[in-house]
Amino acid sequence: MIAEIGHLLLIGALVISFFVGFSPLCRFITKDNFFYRVTGPLNILVLFLVLFSFISLIYSFLNDDFSLAYVANNSNTLLPVYYKLAATWGAHEGSLLLWIFCLCLWATSYLFFNRKKDEEFVALTLAVLNQIICAFIAFTLFTSNPFERLLPIMPIQGSDLNPLLQDFAFTIHPPLLYLGYSGLAVPFALSIAALISRNIDSVWARDTRPWSLLSSGFLTLGIAVGSWWAYYELGWGGWWFWDPVENAAFVPWLISIAMFHSLIVTERRGLYKNWSILLTILAFAASILGTFLVRSGVLTSVHVFALDPERGVFILVIFSYFILGSLIIYSLMNNKLPGRSTYSLISREFGFLLNNLLLVILAISIMFGTLFPLIYEAIYDGKQISVGPPYYQVLILPFAIGLSFLQGIGLYLGWNSTKEFSFLKRIAIESFSLFLLICLFVFLVFGKFSWGSVLAIAMFCWIVSGNFIELIYNSSHLRDLKAVLFKRLALISAHLGMAFLVLGVGMVTTFSLEREVVLSEGEGYQLGDVTFTFKGIEEYKDLNYYVDSARIEIKRNDTVNEVRAEKRIYLSTNQTMTEAAIKPTLLQDYYVTLGDHLGDKTWSFKLQIKPFIRWIWFGAILIAFGTFVSSFNILKKSHE
Amino acid sequence: MNPLRKQRLYVVLSIFLGTAIAVLLVFQGLSKSINLFYSPSEILKAQIEAGTEIRVGGMVKKGSVYRETNSLKLSFEITDFEEDLVIEYEGILPDLFSEEAGVVLKGTINSKGVFVAHEVLAKHDENYMPPEVAKTLKQKK
Repeated sequence: MIAEIGHLLLIGALVISFFVGFSPLCRFITKDNFFYRVTGPLNILVLFLVLFSFISLIYSFLNDDFSLAYVANNSNTLLPVYYKLAATWGAHEGSLLLWIFCLCLWATSYLFFNRKKDEEFVALTLAVLNQIICAFIAFTLFTSNPFERLLPIMPIQGSDLNPLLQDFAFTIHPPLLYLGYSGLAVPFALSIAALISRNIDSVWARDTRPWSLLSSGFLTLGIAVGSWWAYYELGWGGWWFWDPVENAAFVPWLISIAMFHSLIVTERRGLYKNWSILLTILAFAASILGTFLVRSGVLTSVHVFALDPERGVFILVIFSYFILGSLIIYSLMNNKLPGRSTYSLISREFGFLLNNLLLVILAISIMFGTLFPLIYEAIYDGKQISVGPPYYQVLILPFAIGLSFLQGIGLYLGWNSTKEFSFLKRIAIESFSLFLLICLFVFLVFGKFSWGSVLAIAMFCWIVSGNFIELIYNSSHLRDLKAVLFKRLALISAHLGMAFLVLGVGMVTTFSLEREVVLSEGEGYQLGDVTFTFKGIEEYKDLNYYVDSARIEIKRNDTVNEVRAEKRIYLSTNQTMTEAAIKPTLLQDYYVTLGDHLGDKTWSFKLQIKPFIRWIWFGAILIAFGTFVSSFNILKKSHE
Repeated sequence: MNPLRKQRLYVVLSIFLGTAIAVLLVFQGLSKSINLFYSPSEILKAQIEAGTEIRVGGMVKKGSVYRETNSLKLSFEITDFEEDLVIEYEGILPDLFSEEAGVVLKGTINSKGVFVAHEVLAKHDENYMPPEVAKTLKQKK
């Protein structure tokens, strides 16, 4: 019953969002302003319809309504309540509903912050957003309906949520990521509205920037949580696999960063208007393509839940409608955009241009690598290949160096042209002294060096000098310093976050230690500066799984810690899962995975040391914090 | 040259340079990291040089897994129901590795025709079949 109500509510949302989507067209034909006025209230109505539809699905999960195919496939009576909730978005159908709900939230918050603005423009933007909502609801209802019944034969027990997904990080990973993905629809809608109403100016750029910043921030958090989850849950200590689905989130992230930087230039100098608009379209295209890659199952990937080509075709239709449609509007309208002023080679404008160029070319190259196996298969008649991590590693390094370099000096380039170059010398001195200090520290702690780590430290120091030390140096008084730090809080934290990210990635890639060993009870193994000792193993039964739990002692100098590495067998699916033991410290993580039982009290283990790995996620949090602060500042200012 | 043209020149030049570098990197990256996929029967037909990294996939043959005591060395056979291929591997197997389940391996063929795997790809769940393996198995059936 509840599920039917949810189904009906979703159909209602489909109809109303369709109406909102085409109401500006009705206004154009009838000249009746009524069609503008209703878009706001109806948009809120769509939000509530989708919300209650989503709640009814959650309700079905909490009450183990296995007559719903989706619930039966992804839940189980043994599942703890908390994970029943998370199971709502544990697979394709429910996560799609979540996607739609996120988009409705974005549309409504856009409405909230712009309710007093120009009626026509807001209505146009909402119309575009509601067309997107409508398309995704249609996709859900026609190809992947979570409210589909399994009648008359209804299972008494569900087949359970994948054990890998029974985890805290997984509960928050999809909502964050989807907020990021769907948020990119707002800048897209604003671009289309601006193209149609032909007012692309600095006010438009300022109004668009917070939305691109917010979605970028949520993407950052979503990707970081996903990486953290993979790190501790998959049991292999990897934090990034260059898996197609990871790339599908990484590409829109890169483009969204390029977008909000380009919008700064459009706002301050009236330049790069066409480019900014193109980026909003590109970012939204990457967002839909991301959904397509995750959901259609065209690529070999551990993340692919669905293997149904019909869905792929549907998403391709949606993709072509929005992206080809917007490109047609763009090509008809863009050449009429006025405004051009000049700048010299060493100027902030040109710095932003290089930043955008690097980010977008990198994004396109990553996309190319991700799609290359498909292209290859099409050309060579079914011959299958895969593009491995080395491709991406070769690719990303030069771009990371270029972007880090720009980040260090970007703040000191002048608009139009740069008159003074003394900053270069100061940044060089500052970063070099910091570099020596950190190298000394790293050498004392780890007792070794590698080219990769030196490079990462150099990039770190360069960014930190440009975005922090030089700022402090330039503010002569303490009061002044506080004002500078506060005013530039967003910028400083985001760029420092980038620095930490670069350092973490560089160190963990070059300094990690790992060894697969066979240990009998009581036996120890020395790796790096610690000794891992296998203390014993226990077997017991938990709520919904059996477990072999190994006690491992990690001894470093005089500090001793005991951790537990587990192997679980889930009752409902008989699936085995490794639960790694991790001892995190500020500088490095100690990571133990339990392998196979090789004989009497003898097991295999994988021992790892992961230096600076936490700094990657810490950096990501700083970046997200920066984007949030910045967007709130702009929203506040434009609201006053 | 007037400032506007000069500026355009810079922009065009940097786009050109950026793209050129990217294309170069893409080619270099692809040459390093493309791994062709083979089924056991394709391996016999294709003359693969020893030492070339490839991927193979198939079903783990029942009863073929052999482990050395007190070491991580093990061997097993995969099959596409036409030909079998002997695999050697040293290390811990992923959770979802089991007999009569699909598996994809990365590694090289040695001179004895044995496939030395250095990576066993972890699968998502017990029902999941890597698309390449599913396709091969479907063709053979």
